[in-house]
Amino acid sequence: MVKFLGTLFSISMLAALNSGCTTVVIDEYRRSTGELAVGDSVVILGRRHSSDYETEPDLIDCVGKTLNNPKAGVVVIPEQQFVDALYPWFEPRTAPMHIKSLSKLMDIPDVRDRMEKYGIKYIVWIDGSTETTSSAGSIGCSIGTAGAGCFGFGTWDKESDYEASVWDFRDQELSGKISADAQGTSYMPAIVVPIPLIARVQNNACKGMAAQLQEFLLPPQSASR
Amino acid sequence: MVILTGLLTACAHTVSVDGKFPAPVGTQHPLTVGIFLSDDFRKFSYSENRDDRDEWNINTGRAQKNLFETVLGSMFKETVNLSQYPSDLPQGVDLVIVPEVRELQFTMPRETRVNIFEVWIKYDMHAYNQQGESVADWVITAYGKTPTAFLKSQEAALAQAINVALRDAGATLYTGFERVPELQAFLAGKQRALSMKQTETDE
Repeated sequence: MVKFLGTLFSISMLAALNSGCTTVVIDEYRRSTGELAVGDSVVILGRRHSSDYETEPDLIDCVGKTLNNPKAGVVVIPEQQFVDALYPWFEPRTAPMHIKSLSKLMDIPDVRDRMEKYGIKYIVWIDGSTETTSSAGSIGCSIGTAGAGCFGFGTWDKESDYEASVWDFRDQELSGKISADAQGTSYMPAIVVPIPLIARVQNNACKGMAAQLQEFLLPPQSASR
Repeated sequence: MVILTGLLTACAHTVSVDGKFPAPVGTQHPLTVGIFLSDDFRKFSYSENRDDRDEWNINTGRAQKNLFETVLGSMFKETVNLSQYPSDLPQGVDLVIVPEVRELQFTMPRETRVNIFEVWIKYDMHAYNQQGESVADWVITAYGKTPTAFLKSQEAALAQAINVALRDAGATLYTGFERVPELQAFLAGKQRALSMKQTETDE
């Protein structure tokens, strides 16, 4: 297996979606090349053990759906289907936190058989969340005899901070990590009617991570397909 | 009067959880177990009406019944659902398990720093042998949370957090059963008896 020591690079993408401006920075640390073969599958799971935030299920769903591309050789098992099929071993408090804990879990024959039945090659753990960091402005609405209307201006910033750890299930090793930091400002001017200009911060973090994961998981010759 | 009644009941919330839970994957213990879920347990409902909070009525009875029957049903070689206990206990039952709800608590996003609904449920678990003597008493603490979501009602979010807590209870019950010292000893005794029986059969 080829090992890259400290392969580290940054990709910055500037996207203006619906006029809301978002910046996404993807960092990757890779220890081995992708080895997804025909019949192999990937599962994307959210970390939910922290007491003060939760990796959003819709973010995990978005990464899974964006990454799933059987024609290109990437088959993604939906999170809930996998967690149900392996209950209770991937619940927030029982899920393996380290790759060593995963090998202990594989000592249970029924669990190992089920994982092999799904053809799991990679388990991708995503940890993080999207938060509103600041907001300003105000909008007032009123109803009168002449009609109804709103006037004002509101703005708010959102920040996404996610880290994806890629575990190679068959080789029982950490293949690498991908981090996604996204920031965006949304605006809401209101002259009679409020017009939201939303920065799709979480959605852009999802797309950035999914694109990077596809490159990460596929062997070099098929990644370009 | 109608408007006044409406205003008084406007802040009452009802949550009814009716979850379906997956069967656990793993090795079964070689025991025949009786499961007794009392009427209080099957119809468990938690009501709260405090000055600093809206009125809440939370019904988890049906979901709890589904969870414990599914999880316990997968944990052992054979299980028998008992409609009554301790009378009319069928022959051949090694252990009878009786769960009780001790406590249910929840917090709303506006009450805490974090933007999540949280639920804690505590269960008192009891295990009795064929003679009705206590084998073990242990506690299961379950925790569930769910983030707030745009356009999602408080009731739906709390129901989701309760479902997560119930799944957590099932996971703790399944993975923690062998860690209860008295049950560990009981299982070891049963394994010894089975080994001796097997040796006698082989001879």
